[in-house]
Amino acid sequence: MPPKRMTANPVRPARYRPGKAVAEEPSSSEEESGVEEEQEEESEKPTIQAPPKATSFPKEATKIANNLKNVDLNERRRVAAAQEAARLEAEKAERAKQEEGFVTEESEEEEEEGSEEEESESEEEESSSEDEAPRKLLRPTFIKKDQRKPANSGPDLKAEDEKWQEEEEKRKAKADELVQEQLEKNAAARAAGKKNWDDDEDGELEQVDDTDGVDPEMEYAQWKIRELERVRRDRAAIEEAEKEREEIERRRNLSKEEREAEDRQFIEAQKAEKEGKGQMSYMQKYFHKGAFFMDEAKDQGLDRRDIMGSRIQDDVSNRDLLPEYMQIRDMARLGKKGRTKYKDMKSEDTGRFGDYGDRARRGGSGGRDERFMSDRERERFAPTGANASEVKERRREEDTPERSRFGREGESRREYSRGGRDTYVPGHRDSRYDESESRYSRRDRRSRSYSRSQSPRRDRYGSERDRRKRSVSPANESYSHEKRRRVDTR
Amino acid sequence: MSGHKADAKALLDDRGYSGPLIRGENPANLIEKPLQDRITETYYWKEQCFALNEASLCDRAVDMNFIGGTYGQQKASPFLCLVFKLLQLQPEREIVLYYLHNEEGFKYLTALAAFYIRLTFEPVEIYKALEPLLSDYRKLRRRRNDGFMITHMDQFIDDLLTKDRMCGTTLWKLPKRQLLEDLELLDERVSPLADEIEAIDNENDDAREGDESREGSDYERRNGANGRSRSRSRSSEGR
Repeated sequence: MPPKRMTANPVRPARYRPGKAVAEEPSSSEEESGVEEEQEEESEKPTIQAPPKATSFPKEATKIANNLKNVDLNERRRVAAAQEAARLEAEKAERAKQEEGFVTEESEEEEEEGSEEEESESEEEESSSEDEAPRKLLRPTFIKKDQRKPANSGPDLKAEDEKWQEEEEKRKAKADELVQEQLEKNAAARAAGKKNWDDDEDGELEQVDDTDGVDPEMEYAQWKIRELERVRRDRAAIEEAEKEREEIERRRNLSKEEREAEDRQFIEAQKAEKEGKGQMSYMQKYFHKGAFFMDEAKDQGLDRRDIMGSRIQDDVSNRDLLPEYMQIRDMARLGKKGRTKYKDMKSEDTGRFGDYGDRARRGGSGGRDERFMSDRERERFAPTGANASEVKERRREEDTPERSRFGREGESRREYSRGGRDTYVPGHRDSRYDESESRYSRRDRRSRSYSRSQSPRRDRYGSERDRRKRSVSPANESYSHEKRRRVDTR
Repeated sequence: MSGHKADAKALLDDRGYSGPLIRGENPANLIEKPLQDRITETYYWKEQCFALNEASLCDRAVDMNFIGGTYGQQKASPFLCLVFKLLQLQPEREIVLYYLHNEEGFKYLTALAAFYIRLTFEPVEIYKALEPLLSDYRKLRRRRNDGFMITHMDQFIDDLLTKDRMCGTTLWKLPKRQLLEDLELLDERVSPLADEIEAIDNENDDAREGDESREGSDYERRNGANGRSRSRSRSSEGR
């Protein structure tokens, strides 16, 4: 016969799966009981003799376990069987005594029973006598239908069943009891007033007792204290209101100066208080007193405290001695991520606000290098470049408006209106507009010269004009003339 | 009562409440909105406060064990749920006063009525109704987040009359008693211990007769003041 498994690997024990019956191939065969016994014997012997191999699941362990189990069962069964047999015998004897004359089927049946039992017993004995080792199962022998009895399920099994039933009943009884208890508890709780929505505080509620009349004297005394406290509080409120009203009246009755005097005094007192407060030390941490717990603070007498300049125990007295990284307001942020290097405003300031002590001299250019001269310096050596020379000789009539003031109006006007000159003078326009106004304004404006530049007063406007290469239109009649001429001749 | 339904849907309808108003507003708004939500979410409200009327409310109130606002994880107390139910029902004045002065001795029902009065009545009526209770010193169990504590009825009433926030909600702003006295709407409060207070004052005065008392004028004023109106109006002051 080919081997069951197609491999040559050694047979490994089946894995234990909970709930599944352990398949024991060598020992579960009912046919070859004798062979089985022999095998068992064989297996037993080597298991006892050979040392256990160091595997996680020793091969022989299952076999040992199985065998042990078998042994137990058989023994138990035999013992039970013996007991049952004894019991039955006793019963039979009793019945025989009781029903002496009853030779009915029952007795026959009993006899048969007995005989069958004897048979089975004898079989067992036979089998047991045959094999010295204990057996697990009886060899099933065929019994004819007439001779079969339901009691043939076996006294041992019957006993077992009964036992199991008894246990079950016990368990059921226990469960019932538990349920009963639970129901009773619920009913009691409901009766006692614990509601369904109240899922908490069972004991706490009763701990805080609110029964009245426990100690009437004390309760009355306590109430008295409270009532007096209330009266006192009311009176204090009334007094305060009174005082305020008095104060208002008083101030109304004072004269104005007295009121002002009082106000000044009050303000000075406030200022003194402010100065009297300490200054914040360098990089002191600022604690805002907060808006919410003022009442509590007042109760503890802490509403007027001032921490400016006060020394805190953990604080460093002189922060400058610390390395720069540690010179921070709040030491709790030392080493934490995201701390910027911001120290204080002054050190972060990049401008130079209000620091202009050295504005008088601006360093000046060393040499006369044009490129590095400022405009002001350059002005000194102006005109340069393309405007180095004047295009035309110009009579400087700008001096005249400067010199002439209100008195010389007529002269200047006449001078202006003379042609053949560059009459493009701002003052020229004045003659067309309102003379007095514009003349005054213009001249005054120019004479006053609102510019603050400290450069030597040159007539800038004039020099600007002078710098032009060509003079502006009205004087250039010749030019325009030429133009026209050119057009005509074509 | 014609539009009264078993549940509070009409009361909580933001779009349009058409029932009787209190001070021109939906009575539910006397309790803060978040607290309203807490109340309507509790099991107590859903199970027990459905289809209550004034009579069955008494049964519920009898089962009450403590007063308080919210406790635990924002759980509204049954006290608050019943207050809210009262706001929905808006029982009549006599009924509320009956709750307040119930003879069966249900102090939590009294406390409930006091809270309702504080929220809904007019100022003068509030003072008139609640001040007699200042001499009632029955114990009340008050529940806060951290557990229970014992307070007394007069303390509770006093808090109702003076504090801004009670039981987890902001109370409607009550004018001060002094203001009402100045307006001649209320008389001065005479404490039940008035005689004893007078006796104490007399003793104090005797003790200080020898020294020059800074507050002499005040004492004199206080002494004769019990039961007599004090000169507090501006017209009496010399101008």
